[in-house]
Amino acid sequence: MAAELTSTKLNAESHLILDQPLLRLPHELARRNFKAVQRVVEREKEYVLPALKEAANASLSNTHTPDQTLAALDAMISRMQGLKRKMESLQEEERRIQTQSRKRIQHLEALHNIPSLADVKYDQWSRVRLDRLLVDHMLRSGFSESAKQLAEEQDIEGLVDLGVFTQCQRIVESLRRGDTKEALQWCGENKAALKKSNHNLEFELRLQQYIELVRTQDRSKKLEAILHARKYLTPNHESQNSEVMRAAGLLVFSQDTRAEPYKLLFSQDRWKILSELFIKTHHELLSLPSQPLLHIALSAGLSALKTPLCHSAYTSSSSNSQSTSTSVCPICSTELNDLARKMPYAHHSKSYVEGDAIVLPNGRVYGKARLLEISKNLGAVEAGKVKDPTTGEVFDESEMKKVYIL
Amino acid sequence: MELVQKEHDRLLKRLKASHGIKNVDATIDLLQSARDTIASDPNQAAITLAKLQNPVKSSFDSINDNLKETHSGLNKYTKSLDKLFKDRPLPTTEHDALSQQENLINRAIAMHLLREGQFSVAATFLAEIADQKAMDNPDSTPLSPKPATSLLDIDEVPSSEIRKQFASMYYILHEMKEKKNLLPAIEWSRENREALEARGSNLEFELSRLQFVWLFHGESHAQDVRNWQAAVSYAQREFQAFMPRYLPEVQQLMGAMAFCPNLQGSPYSTIFNNPSAWDDVAQFFTREFCSLLGLSADSPLYVAATAGAIALPTLLKLQTIMKAKRTEWTSENELPVEIPLPPSYLFHSIFVCPVSKEQATDENPPMMMPCGHVIAEESLHRLSKSNRFKCPYCPNESHPKDARKIFL
Repeated sequence: MAAELTSTKLNAESHLILDQPLLRLPHELARRNFKAVQRVVEREKEYVLPALKEAANASLSNTHTPDQTLAALDAMISRMQGLKRKMESLQEEERRIQTQSRKRIQHLEALHNIPSLADVKYDQWSRVRLDRLLVDHMLRSGFSESAKQLAEEQDIEGLVDLGVFTQCQRIVESLRRGDTKEALQWCGENKAALKKSNHNLEFELRLQQYIELVRTQDRSKKLEAILHARKYLTPNHESQNSEVMRAAGLLVFSQDTRAEPYKLLFSQDRWKILSELFIKTHHELLSLPSQPLLHIALSAGLSALKTPLCHSAYTSSSSNSQSTSTSVCPICSTELNDLARKMPYAHHSKSYVEGDAIVLPNGRVYGKARLLEISKNLGAVEAGKVKDPTTGEVFDESEMKKVYIL
Repeated sequence: MELVQKEHDRLLKRLKASHGIKNVDATIDLLQSARDTIASDPNQAAITLAKLQNPVKSSFDSINDNLKETHSGLNKYTKSLDKLFKDRPLPTTEHDALSQQENLINRAIAMHLLREGQFSVAATFLAEIADQKAMDNPDSTPLSPKPATSLLDIDEVPSSEIRKQFASMYYILHEMKEKKNLLPAIEWSRENREALEARGSNLEFELSRLQFVWLFHGESHAQDVRNWQAAVSYAQREFQAFMPRYLPEVQQLMGAMAFCPNLQGSPYSTIFNNPSAWDDVAQFFTREFCSLLGLSADSPLYVAATAGAIALPTLLKLQTIMKAKRTEWTSENELPVEIPLPPSYLFHSIFVCPVSKEQATDENPPMMMPCGHVIAEESLHRLSKSNRFKCPYCPNESHPKDARKIFL
């Protein structure tokens, strides 16, 4: 696979891989919002039309007093006013989402007007992208405050989804504390979507509530647990048969049991598992990728940049912190060095060395012009001598030997 | 992308034109007027209500029609998004190698924030990491995905020392850029003179020269004798130290003084009227400062993330091809495909053995034969079988033990 070694070509369309959630998430929110509108309209329609018909029939057959008719009409009017209020707030929300989408589309569109990867504008664009990736990573790791602050300072709040992740994080924290209320409420709000894609989050949450009731070993609580199981667990016996059985078995064990799987069910670790399940479900529902985008970008980037020299036992002549006029390679830099250790290095099919390469008696290879320039800048080196910028050894200029690297 | 934009435009337009609420209003009006009629004349109740049935129903219908339109708009937009990202699903790596190294990533982020000068965000970030660690630590649960101990290392590098270093770097840069005050930078370069000289860096001289130019121009670029005096006395005081090494440059500066009122027309005008001089020096300073800390001048996190974004399309294509052909990655250490990056992303020299086409590694280093041609050590052994052999690229013959290891 011979490809060119370097390229500054920018194919904006295929460059946008990392930016899918940027448009997908608000769209997913818009769809949900739309469904909410649909739902409220449907609900009011189903109330008002029959009510109107009934009122008409009643007044035809004179079973209603005028006051009753008026009261029925008043009820309808207030229902409709409620509908109006709800629709207004949902429309407001929709407007907010779509303006945000608009901005995001413009941001992505800007990339299409950048001619090449070497352009200063690309640099700026890419910096904004990095900030977006950082905010995404921080939000996913639960560092909401940092994320908020970074987004504010860099003025990219419209390009990151603070709200969605903060809500997610709040629920995760409530689960870690051992509280199922908020998570269940979330399940309620997303019932239709959850059902459609066969998620068992709600079942697991209900099961946890059941476990907590059994854990008390209190007789009345246990009775409550059985009722709870009847209401919430057994309806799922087809899909979750073994779990339902296990839950039933749990009744005869106490929380210090060593018998599996009951020990596991009583374990406090379940809260952690639940919170992870919640995150997974939440991200899937909003078509968010399961891993932070920063990880995806970094694992590709580290490999693309890495060379065998980056973790070599010998100091590289071409890029090291001791010599001037070269910049330190980002993989060699302390920030990323350990992180890149296990990554594969980039594939190259052609050698790449400085022009007019020479080798010094110690085996170090440099570009001749650069070496002479460095030696000139080093005050301590006499004329006609060159100093190896990596090892500090001084050689005679005549000791430089041409090296042929094909 | 254009399609996405077009569909989204339509969505917005529809949103603005949406008369769902107007229909609700109309329904309320209908109900209200019916109520008024009935209230004023209860006998009209039956007929009013009967007449009301159809209008109310039809306004609900038109609300629903409206919703249907919005729905189809949303669907079209979905399709345009699908089309835009069709062949480009996000990579799904079953094992996310990086998630095992959360602490290293967080460390890299903290360093990035510090080097970008976002000290308050960095402080918040480190505090939040510490909080999380404190929360995770007390219960050392075996099922926890990341061992709590590995999180402890984070304090090692963005320690207060590094933070202090970057804070001083930003102070110096701030003084330089905002107040045109080079003195803190000069002071720093003087403190680190030895290390800088070992690198062959002429930062101190560059700074002093700019200081001289700045003094000469004075605050307002006014040609003033006092400025001239200030500059010359600065030169007398400071340039002594640069004498043997930067003699020609100092001579240039002094020579320029002779042209004093008319520097513009002198051969030295470029030295004195270089618009990018301040930016250049600031960049130079940043690079030297970071290098002395063993860090690269540009944020590695930025470079790596950008390189990643550039590399992703190629890697994704590869993933699809490999999946289709059911082949596996043969060498785990090396990517199977070349990824072209812009030239500024090449940091090291690269040696690919012209015989074996393999990249040189510590285990298989490049070896130079006496004729000056270089091949990898393994190729050398394979070709020579420990006897004299002919160089594959020239008529020269040599013994493998005469070949020398070189360092790129």
